[in-house]
Amino acid sequence: MNNFTEKKIFEEADNWIKSNKKVVLATVIQTWGSSPLGIGSRMIVNENGNFLGSVSGGCVEAKVIEECISLLNSKENCKKIDFKVSNENAWEVGLACGGDISIYIEEII
Amino acid sequence: MKLKTIQETLKNKSLKKEFAIITNLKNGDSEIFFPDTNLTGFFSKYRNDIKKIFHLNKNSLIENSDIFVQTFKNPIKVIIVGAVHITTYLIDLAKNLDFEIIIVDPRGYFASKERFPNTNIIKKWPNEAFKEIETNSKTALVALTHDPKIDDPALQYALKNKFFYIGALGSKKTHEKRCLRLMESGFKKEEVETINGPIGIKLGGKSPSEIAISIIAQLVLEKYRK
Repeated sequence: MNNFTEKKIFEEADNWIKSNKKVVLATVIQTWGSSPLGIGSRMIVNENGNFLGSVSGGCVEAKVIEECISLLNSKENCKKIDFKVSNENAWEVGLACGGDISIYIEEII
Repeated sequence: MKLKTIQETLKNKSLKKEFAIITNLKNGDSEIFFPDTNLTGFFSKYRNDIKKIFHLNKNSLIENSDIFVQTFKNPIKVIIVGAVHITTYLIDLAKNLDFEIIIVDPRGYFASKERFPNTNIIKKWPNEAFKEIETNSKTALVALTHDPKIDDPALQYALKNKFFYIGALGSKKTHEKRCLRLMESGFKKEEVETINGPIGIKLGGKSPSEIAISIIAQLVLEKYRK
């Protein structure tokens, strides 16, 4: 695990929160097959849709950002999202490489 | 995750501690686990599973639970002997990778703060410098002065202490001579052969920045070699 990336993301999360932004943390918690990034890969998203880090190679980030923003507008503070994608719709949202991943999103509170 | 956990993580990283973040995915509750202290409360019943994942240096869900464990171990320490031109590029490349860099060079003009701002530089001969550096089997040596007076003592130290990676700059001829010198001072052939010399993977580059890329690439390669 590359702790360097982790540190950078956590520092930025801390900065965003200090400047009164709402921040959601997304973490890859499980993978099956060929997924682009390993378990523990992280990304942060704020209420404006700014993000740092990644949970895939760019395949599912847009969807994860949307989910993070709607989490901030909901009563919940955490949620699990599964991307179990077959290759046919992989070009829309999902993993073009055909792997499956589970992503956990949670508001930093 | 709690903001407190994020701030504690950053603090413990700067203190060079090794630990894990434990998250209960049911409610987002989180706590920091240290291998030498006991967990209290909800997470304590998962202690054995957490320990297992931590010692395997993995990130993982605990089986049949909603507990996620993310391990934080210290990065590989890379000791660069020689505050030379290549070193300036190596430092730049290492900034975006998980390596802790320490530069050793007894020569004042080279090992200056102006040349290497915000870098840990020890302006001493290797034998003196190594007294101040904690090393283990996760330490790497990159010898770049190609001056035997400076490189050789560092190489000897690294060989004796079984560093996970040892590389030395210099042509094939220079390296052959270096190996002979090391064998004359009592090292076995198979020990000397563990030195990566000429240093770096073969990219064909010649300039200092290109050589720096080939060295950093070799460090990453060796880091993931199973």
